[in-house]
Amino acid sequence: MIEKDVLRFSKTPKLQRPSLVVGWGRDAGKLGVKVIDFLNEKLASEEFCQIRPTGFFSLGGVEVENDVVQFPESTFCFCRRKDLVTFKSSEPQYEWYKFLNSVLDVAETFNTKTFYTVSGTISLISHTSPRRIFTVSNQPELKKMFQGFGLADMDYEGEPALSSYLLWAAKKRNIPGVSLWVEVPFYLASVEDPKAWKRVLEFFNQKFSLDIDLEGISQKIKTQNEEIQKLRRRKPAVDKYLSQLEGGFVLNEKEQQKLAKEVYKSLKEHQRG
Amino acid sequence: MGVRIFKKVKAENPDLIACWSGIGNIGLIAVDTLRSEIQAEEFGEIEPWDFFYPRKVSIEGGLLKDLEFSRSKFYFQRVGKKDLIIFVGEEQPTEKGDLYASGGKAYEMASLVLDIADEFQCKRVYTSGAAVAPIHHTLRPKVWAAANKKDLIEEIKRYENTISMSEVEGADDQGAITGLNGLLLGVAKKRGLEGICLMGEIPLYLQASPLLYPKASKSVLEVLTKILGIRLDLRTFDNYVAQSEATVEKFYGHLPSELRDQLEKFKNIRYVKPAPTMPTMTAEDKKKLMEDVERFLQKKEGEQI
Repeated sequence: MIEKDVLRFSKTPKLQRPSLVVGWGRDAGKLGVKVIDFLNEKLASEEFCQIRPTGFFSLGGVEVENDVVQFPESTFCFCRRKDLVTFKSSEPQYEWYKFLNSVLDVAETFNTKTFYTVSGTISLISHTSPRRIFTVSNQPELKKMFQGFGLADMDYEGEPALSSYLLWAAKKRNIPGVSLWVEVPFYLASVEDPKAWKRVLEFFNQKFSLDIDLEGISQKIKTQNEEIQKLRRRKPAVDKYLSQLEGGFVLNEKEQQKLAKEVYKSLKEHQRG
Repeated sequence: MGVRIFKKVKAENPDLIACWSGIGNIGLIAVDTLRSEIQAEEFGEIEPWDFFYPRKVSIEGGLLKDLEFSRSKFYFQRVGKKDLIIFVGEEQPTEKGDLYASGGKAYEMASLVLDIADEFQCKRVYTSGAAVAPIHHTLRPKVWAAANKKDLIEEIKRYENTISMSEVEGADDQGAITGLNGLLLGVAKKRGLEGICLMGEIPLYLQASPLLYPKASKSVLEVLTKILGIRLDLRTFDNYVAQSEATVEKFYGHLPSELRDQLEKFKNIRYVKPAPTMPTMTAEDKKKLMEDVERFLQKKEGEQI
């Protein structure tokens, strides 16, 4: 049963049997949000539904990021041409189960074929390394669908992320779902990792025949690489740490923190112009 | 949101003994020890997902295997002629970052537990928790009792080592039982069920520490088993208590000597009415002592005790 007080539909799109792509805010390398924003922009998707924030977020005030007031967002968009639905949301603070079931209510309403969550997973790789995608399915038969895409199986035991909770809740309702975990170098986790965005968008391009032009993202990767290159030239310690990572060596905690701090500072300065 | 019963149970006029985690896990350890000693069998559980965030996920070869939540389970056993339903809640449902259960979720969980009590026509409900007291850890903890009917208090006070909350010095006939171990009795009262909470004393300087305090659980168990008229072999449990006492003693040994000198006074502090010839502790002294202990614990944060 759909919780009418939770979902607010602005239109009811006619879709065949869409796939649903889910991305959460505050993701490593800003992966989830950027991938969804990029898909929505390139596919000219239209918003059709929102989850009301009441009960899921504190709403005791607002956060301000770079002087801009933020507000929890949980929005569904659709692209009829590609039979694709996207969902971009801040992670709820309370009532996760109810929230996730509201997402699944929408998936069920449109008889969703499969939903995909996209998230970044922090890795000890260098930014010049290729990004692997690890997958988690909630039904064994889904695994066959991903053969030939160069994806890797995930093995993990520990604290669950919201995406894993969504997969589990979907399994209970027999809704097929897959989590895509894209590697993000640890020192890009709190900034942006366009190379990780590109990796997952390439997968969607291939999987859904989207024909999206990724040139804009390639340009962003190039700019970021140049900035890090400049930093390497300026700071020999950064160059040493990155060379070690590129050589397959692991940095100790202190070195990792130092590298992350330098890269963050440099990329933020560049962003500010 | 509901209860899943997976085994049929035939119970005659059972008592319900319910408990959730709390300070020193005193009540939880007492009730869970009772459950294990009488070999009570699991017959149902409260579905966790509306109350708790999952604590563990297992993923194998790219496949989601399981998601693990804190458990809230029902058990049953007949001991002699006494039928007992035991409920063990590993976690209290909290709302908006509270430490203990409060608000709608707590009330919903209390109601679900009491639905089972009603279904089995329980007449009486017991809960257990901690009573933070100005005592020294070398002393035998007393058991404080509160009930949802006046005449039950007189009954409980007959048991050895038991006092009512109003007998505590400075309580002014007022007190509170935080979280579900208290709330359940309130909801039970509304439903016409008798309810008693047995609280094992924990020294006030241990309340903020991460240590478990099974010594107080033992006091609770002694009273609870006498009320229920059952005998338990607590030899294994006694070993556990002895081990825990050694840990507490080690913790105590790490306290600054000036603080320990202050805490030694707890060996002779009078806090129960009526007054024997013992010194009392003023509220101001108590506050200062707590501030000293907290300062020490903050300093210790991150260190293994």
